[in-house]
Amino acid sequence: MSIDFNFAWQTFTTSWPMFWYGIKVTLALAFVGTLVGLVIGLIIGAIRGLSVDPLDGKGVRVLKGLGHLITRLYIWIFRGTPMMVQAVFLYYLLRPVIGWTSLTAGMVIISINTGAYMAEIIRSGIQSIDVGQTEAAKSLGMTNTQTMMSIIFPQAIRNSFPSIGNQLIVNIKDSSMLNAIAVTELFFQTTSIAGSTMRYLEVYMIACIIYLILTTIASIILNAIEKHMSDDHQVSIKANV
Amino acid sequence: METLLQVQHLQKSFGDLRVLNDIDFEIHKGEVATLIGSSGSGKSTLLRCINLLEIPNGGQIIFKGKNILTDSIQVTSYRAKVGMVFQSFNLFNNLNVLENCMIGQIKVLKKSKEEAKAKAMKHLTEVGMQDFAKANSRRLSGGQKQRVAIARTLCMDPELILFDEPTSALDPEMVGDVLDVMKKLAANGMTMAVVTHEMQFAKEVSDRVIFMDQGVIAEQGTPEDLFDHPQHERTKQFLSRYANR
Repeated sequence: MSIDFNFAWQTFTTSWPMFWYGIKVTLALAFVGTLVGLVIGLIIGAIRGLSVDPLDGKGVRVLKGLGHLITRLYIWIFRGTPMMVQAVFLYYLLRPVIGWTSLTAGMVIISINTGAYMAEIIRSGIQSIDVGQTEAAKSLGMTNTQTMMSIIFPQAIRNSFPSIGNQLIVNIKDSSMLNAIAVTELFFQTTSIAGSTMRYLEVYMIACIIYLILTTIASIILNAIEKHMSDDHQVSIKANV
Repeated sequence: METLLQVQHLQKSFGDLRVLNDIDFEIHKGEVATLIGSSGSGKSTLLRCINLLEIPNGGQIIFKGKNILTDSIQVTSYRAKVGMVFQSFNLFNNLNVLENCMIGQIKVLKKSKEEAKAKAMKHLTEVGMQDFAKANSRRLSGGQKQRVAIARTLCMDPELILFDEPTSALDPEMVGDVLDVMKKLAANGMTMAVVTHEMQFAKEVSDRVIFMDQGVIAEQGTPEDLFDHPQHERTKQFLSRYANR
């Protein structure tokens, strides 16, 4: 069987509305998953970054210990199981309880899955920051939260921006696994079109090309942002000391 | 003279290693105390204990009559009153020069942006860095960074400033600029505790010199006492090494 390019083009134009719908859902899943995942990662990263301070009272120490335990468990489970299995399991587990749609479930699952990866990215981003930054903030009288929000997070996000951006590209592709719970993203739409035309090769080739275009555009944009962040927009300084 | 800070029987260990043993000294308001001694003698650890960056294992630190280790004192507000200048500057890399000087005022002292900016510019001018307010703090030279770090501390209106080897990471030609700023502060009556290897500075500026050796204060006194008439063998040995350089 060979690929009929004429047929592929015809299918692409006639089924464009269905593809377009899938593209929109895929991009929404990827963006929401990456952004919410980043927020989760920052929270988890902050909890994991909290060291037990000798100045802490007993209650605070227990809370911190508990925080470490829960976050480790979360990362262990969500990085150690496939997202497709997480999706099916959680979707059917919670559907009778909260009655969520598959799209909502998909958004939530891709976010918490990404969060587990982001937590590790943020943690290594935090670890790469010199301890002197924290000490300087403390010496001014800043609290732990202020130090995290104003000094550590901005630097950690900047340091790990390439890895954070990579998660967006991963999510554009991996959102396809959410077809398992019937989220109408690009892969799900493609499968529907393939089923109605009975021409699998052509239709999946179109899907491949669309995914490739999406990830390419995303990486061009990410590279531009990265370049912008590393560019020195400050006034250049003569060393006059 | 009013006693600002008293350190009594202070002890600090890292695991089995005892770094500070039974440290006793005090600093009066407006006084400059320099801590000298060879590397590993515990000078920096002592300074870090005073700011609670290290937590002592025993003894007392009394600031303005209150024991900061036991009395229920807010650590953050205590630290805001005790400034610290680090060997490696530790300017905030994500903030420019001006923002470095404003953030403590805004976050800790809850000042308005306008107020914080005015004060930051005043102190940047004092250290000769006013032209660099908008500069990226990572792009400065070591001497410039340290002057900004001093301005950042001054912006908090501290009652005491701790200097942890402020010139040790600098190229020799930049040391003078930083020391000049510190001399100016001393002349204006700022209370300072300075860990340093600059003996000339210690001699000229200090009211009290503390010589540390192997985790204890071996000898302390006026610069004349210590530099011209050292009592201890250890002090003599240490100073002779500097005299011969």
